[in-house]
Amino acid sequence: MSTFALKSFTGLRQSPTDQITFVSHVPSSLSRSQRRTSLRVTASRASPKLANRSLRVAVIGGGPAGGAAAETLAQGGIETILIERKMDNCKPCGGAIPLCMVGEFNLPLDIIDRRVTKMKMISPSNIAVDIGRTLKEHEYIGMVRREVLDQYLRERAEKSGATVINGLFLKMDLPEEWDSPYVLHYTEYDGKTGATGQKKTMEVDAVIGADGANSRVAKSIGAGDYDYAIAFQERIRIPDDKMTYYEDLAEMYVGDDVSPDFYGWVFPKCDHVAVGTGTVTHKGDIKKFQLATRNRAKDKILGGKIIRVEAHPIPEHPRPRRLSKRVALVGDAAGYVTKCSGEGIYFAAKSGRMCAEAIVEGSQNGKKMIDESDLRKYLEKWDKTYLPTYRVLDVLQKVFYRSNPAREAFVEMCGDEYVQKMTFDSYLYKRVAPGSPLEDLKLAVNTIGSVFRANALRREIEKLNV
Amino acid sequence: MSISMALFSPPISSSLRNPYLSPKNSLSLLSVTRASSDNGASTTDSAAVSATTVEIPKPASVTVEEVPSKSPAESSSDETDLPTTETGIKFEDAKWVNGTWDLKQFEKDGKTDWDSIIVAEAKRRKWLEDNPETTTNAEPVLFDTSIIPWWAWMKRYHLPEAELLNGRAAMIGFFMAYFVDSLTGVGLVDQMGNFFCKTLLFVAVAGVLFIRKNEDLDKLKGLIEETTLYDKQWQAAWKEPESSSSTVSSKK
Repeated sequence: MSTFALKSFTGLRQSPTDQITFVSHVPSSLSRSQRRTSLRVTASRASPKLANRSLRVAVIGGGPAGGAAAETLAQGGIETILIERKMDNCKPCGGAIPLCMVGEFNLPLDIIDRRVTKMKMISPSNIAVDIGRTLKEHEYIGMVRREVLDQYLRERAEKSGATVINGLFLKMDLPEEWDSPYVLHYTEYDGKTGATGQKKTMEVDAVIGADGANSRVAKSIGAGDYDYAIAFQERIRIPDDKMTYYEDLAEMYVGDDVSPDFYGWVFPKCDHVAVGTGTVTHKGDIKKFQLATRNRAKDKILGGKIIRVEAHPIPEHPRPRRLSKRVALVGDAAGYVTKCSGEGIYFAAKSGRMCAEAIVEGSQNGKKMIDESDLRKYLEKWDKTYLPTYRVLDVLQKVFYRSNPAREAFVEMCGDEYVQKMTFDSYLYKRVAPGSPLEDLKLAVNTIGSVFRANALRREIEKLNV
Repeated sequence: MSISMALFSPPISSSLRNPYLSPKNSLSLLSVTRASSDNGASTTDSAAVSATTVEIPKPASVTVEEVPSKSPAESSSDETDLPTTETGIKFEDAKWVNGTWDLKQFEKDGKTDWDSIIVAEAKRRKWLEDNPETTTNAEPVLFDTSIIPWWAWMKRYHLPEAELLNGRAAMIGFFMAYFVDSLTGVGLVDQMGNFFCKTLLFVAVAGVLFIRKNEDLDKLKGLIEETTLYDKQWQAAWKEPESSSSTVSSKK
């Protein structure tokens, strides 16, 4: 086996040359764990020490992923440069963050505009179910303004020692030798040279691509494409008495009229509501879906003024290649958005942090050069921790967003207290809590019942059509 | 039986529903524009709602209060007012009271006639699919299909279908048993002891259960591919560079 041959080599040969043979061409017939243990043991020991300088890492993109990554890198003693193209960018976003993010990232409570503690799910036939009865006093879903959150995380990164540059990343020259640096081409906006900015280059040892769904870093490394949904949102300022209804309540509308494979929403923001919808398969009809969403919520947003219209792509699954040599993708650039709920902020920040931690560890706080195997550790850890969550949400989307009867059954089931408790537990704390088997059995029976009833009603509807 | 006849008719799959989307939505569009032209039309809704609508200016372009900065994709810089009046189309039925079906009105011979409730709910859902309606806090929809007892659902839907499928299985079983007997001379009792025959039996039962129409074959193949697709997309990062150069994308 090649692994044994390689192991015997490390004793005899000099460290730098070993590295080249390792990283590529491990036979895929080896099981994943086998492959990884063989890589893990020898790679980091073999990396050369950097003489007279720390590792230089560039983080492209200053959203939650970039900000979190830059902060962790800087705290780990690595020379960090964060490049962000628009410092006051109001990224079109639902803006919901789970409770665990506040704790894990030490977010100050004044960043959160609203605490949503109640949700309403509304089925195609307008059956409304209230969710949130099981939430405890201190539990909530935080609604933030992206410009506020992003700015805060960037400032924290800067305070930890990262250099924040206002610039637009253009392209990247890949290194020819294994130890050559990456050359980044970017346009720096510094106010003095005006709107067009100044073209500059920078040499770095590693790159974290945190530049979102249309990532240029991903294009530079040939990461491949993903399917994406279009999320379309209108911000509507509604009269104060209607706003009190949305004080701490968010709504989700499901139905063929609102979206064939996603949901329409009304989320409260600081002083207005965001009404939107999304779709993967019928992007051309998005305006129709938006009108339908507004129609369903019409009474509750009556007399409102649309103050802004925005849209943005949302990745549906990770890109085929999430890293390449010493470049790694995190957040939306990697495609870490869950299905079913379309949640991305927490996963972006967490992946940024995890990738940065892997770099800090692999380089021993910036003293050594890293290589692809160190970044692969981040991918490994990420997949191990969150793949079950992604899988469960994918199954939920496939089963419950397929058709109107499925959505009716979904809404019916969400009325069940056990379901609410499990859902909120897993959303707020990002852990798959073990429920009681008896309740799980009851839930399974109820699910089958709901789905059966909804499909039976659909058959009845079809009979009426004939 | 009428229900079994309905089962023979081709299913209106969700993909076919989409042609209905345009007329449905153009209907709602029409109703929206009709509403905006009915300035201050009286409605059946609560007085509080109509009181607040009077103050808001009519839907015409208003002076721009906020000019939002350029967003990555679409953005419009006018303020648009939403239509401020109600549409006339609403689901109404004498037996639909306070957002649920009034069970007392469905009694027949002193007992609730569950079948008619099921049909009434189906009519309501069909109406709403064709004319999507706004939800209101004043009249929330509270109907829960689980109030209809399980045996009513069984009697109406499961039993006829079970009868149909069992009939099919029996016919297939009889003729297969005869066919195998005529070919091999092995009688029914001896067939049941044979492993190959038992496999054939299992395949026949599974076939009757899962393949009820011609389209089901393709649907099943699609389902199997669909269940494994997401995993494949995640594992793509772990594949060899050569194989991952061809991107793994889903065929929708």
